[in-house]
Amino acid sequence: MKKYLGNSALKSLEKIGDILCPKNGEFPSYSEFGAIEFVDQMLQYAPASDIKDLNFLLSVLSIMPSFILKWIVRHMTTSVENNGVLSPLFRQLNFGFRGLIFSSYYAGKRPKNYTGKLPTELIDFSLNRKLD
Amino acid sequence: MKTYDFIVVGSGASGGTLIRHLHKSGADVLLIEAGSGFTKETFPKNEMEFSSQLYWGGGLEFDTKAKTAFLRAKVLGGTTIVNQALVDRFDEDCFSDWHNRTGVDFMSVEKMTPYYKAVEENLKLHTFDKTSKNRNAELFTEACDKLGYDWKYLRRAQDDCQHDNGNDCIGCLGGCFRDSKQSSWVTSIQKAQKEGLEIQCDCEIQSIEHKKDGVVLHGMQKGKKVFFKAKTLCLAAGSFGSTGLLLRSGFKKHLPALGKGFTQHPQFMYFGVFDDPVNAHRGAFQTVASGYKDFRKKGFKLEVVYAQPISVAMLLNAYGTHHQNQMRNYTKMSSIEVAVRDEPEGGQIDIDRSGKLKITKTLTDQDLKRKADGVEVLKNIIAAQGAKQVLSSPVYFGLHLMGGCSIGINAESSVVNPDFQVHNCKNIYIADTSIFPSAPGINPSLSAMAFSEKLALELIKK
Repeated sequence: MKKYLGNSALKSLEKIGDILCPKNGEFPSYSEFGAIEFVDQMLQYAPASDIKDLNFLLSVLSIMPSFILKWIVRHMTTSVENNGVLSPLFRQLNFGFRGLIFSSYYAGKRPKNYTGKLPTELIDFSLNRKLD
Repeated sequence: MKTYDFIVVGSGASGGTLIRHLHKSGADVLLIEAGSGFTKETFPKNEMEFSSQLYWGGGLEFDTKAKTAFLRAKVLGGTTIVNQALVDRFDEDCFSDWHNRTGVDFMSVEKMTPYYKAVEENLKLHTFDKTSKNRNAELFTEACDKLGYDWKYLRRAQDDCQHDNGNDCIGCLGGCFRDSKQSSWVTSIQKAQKEGLEIQCDCEIQSIEHKKDGVVLHGMQKGKKVFFKAKTLCLAAGSFGSTGLLLRSGFKKHLPALGKGFTQHPQFMYFGVFDDPVNAHRGAFQTVASGYKDFRKKGFKLEVVYAQPISVAMLLNAYGTHHQNQMRNYTKMSSIEVAVRDEPEGGQIDIDRSGKLKITKTLTDQDLKRKADGVEVLKNIIAAQGAKQVLSSPVYFGLHLMGGCSIGINAESSVVNPDFQVHNCKNIYIADTSIFPSAPGINPSLSAMAFSEKLALELIKK
């Protein structure tokens, strides 16, 4: 089904998704919501070299224990304001992972097996569109 | 191989203006665009889809240190499809700076006025008034009035946005679904296409072969190599696109200034959190800005703005339950941005060995001072609004990409001459934002149109 990321890469992305978007009251966790099914839709427009790098990196991360993933998420978040040697790398991860995860979580689209309120509904986001 | 009179690469503010005139003149014109073509019926309908489908890099591009994220449109109509269509003329302050930097004679309000007038005649323009302010704009203007800061209504290129009937314009950041926004697609390309203009979409030009009698373009279209030939080439692919193409084609050898002086009006967003709904995403979401001349002198401006949830989640840079608790307040946030008039010395466009863009962008001490001055004022405004909490975004975005092919007289320090012709290349012209010699501190699209209007008229005359 998934054309751009392998199974182990998708598993990693879902784990990172649960760190960024955990179960929190009415908010579903990223994996419970099932937003991973939208990731392919986004990646079909990304440069092939970026997808290859992402696939490799996420596959490596799939064998890491959860505390390492939490450490990475913490560092990529703080990297935005840091100037260490590894900060550019962590900033790229920050934009890349958050971009994929938040985009699929707040897309306003319903994953096929999810029946609860959408995250966009939980934050009261909707748009009025007056067409011609 | 067919030889066109003109090939225009890029279809935004500059490309749209050029093809309108060149095609109308009866010349044989080809318009090439790297992105896909959409119509009001087919534009992507949500933020996830439009971010990935309408921008280079599948959403974002970065500088080498990944400090700044650049938003660069990749769609037929270019940035005019995804911007807020704010259209201001450059002022004397900008043009006198540019005249001093470049020595180019027409860099003055007086000499550019006929071209501004001409492009404005082709646009439907609307200046907002008190009836169009949403609560976010009201909070901003009430606080400015309280603190004695001047503010102004913004002017937008739009026809009939139906704000009175509850239309939420933030949706048109992914393409206008009623052809109200005056993108180049609406004002030029659709009409020219109906009249026979040839357009090649999804076609990325990789290099230019410059010959005595014209140019040959080498590119890729849907996985296949393609070639096009023209007597005259007009590059209208913007700061990254036009500069990158010349760099990949080896022009740096005789144009040492190529790639220098990249600027982008770095933007920093702040949010005030309230108990009651602000609904900053409703209606016309960007209607007012600071009007205080002192701010212009200090090198920054403030604008009321907002974003859809994915962008707000990215900007706030939190994660976990903290992130979700912030997002619960999505409708209760006011939002203002500081846009800085950044110095060209901090920016450079290069390519790596594989031909991929390599952008260096450092904020100079002057840029940081301007940001700090703007943030100080902005915080006063949010405090005067009565917000219970202030959230700042540590992430900053570049939306106005300018420079890299600066205009000027001397081939040592500039890339195009005062006729918009690439120095010593009689068949290649540029009039897009890449020719800007420094940041104007004003939205650039109308001026890219005005320069392109001037170029188009001169080309037809020739």
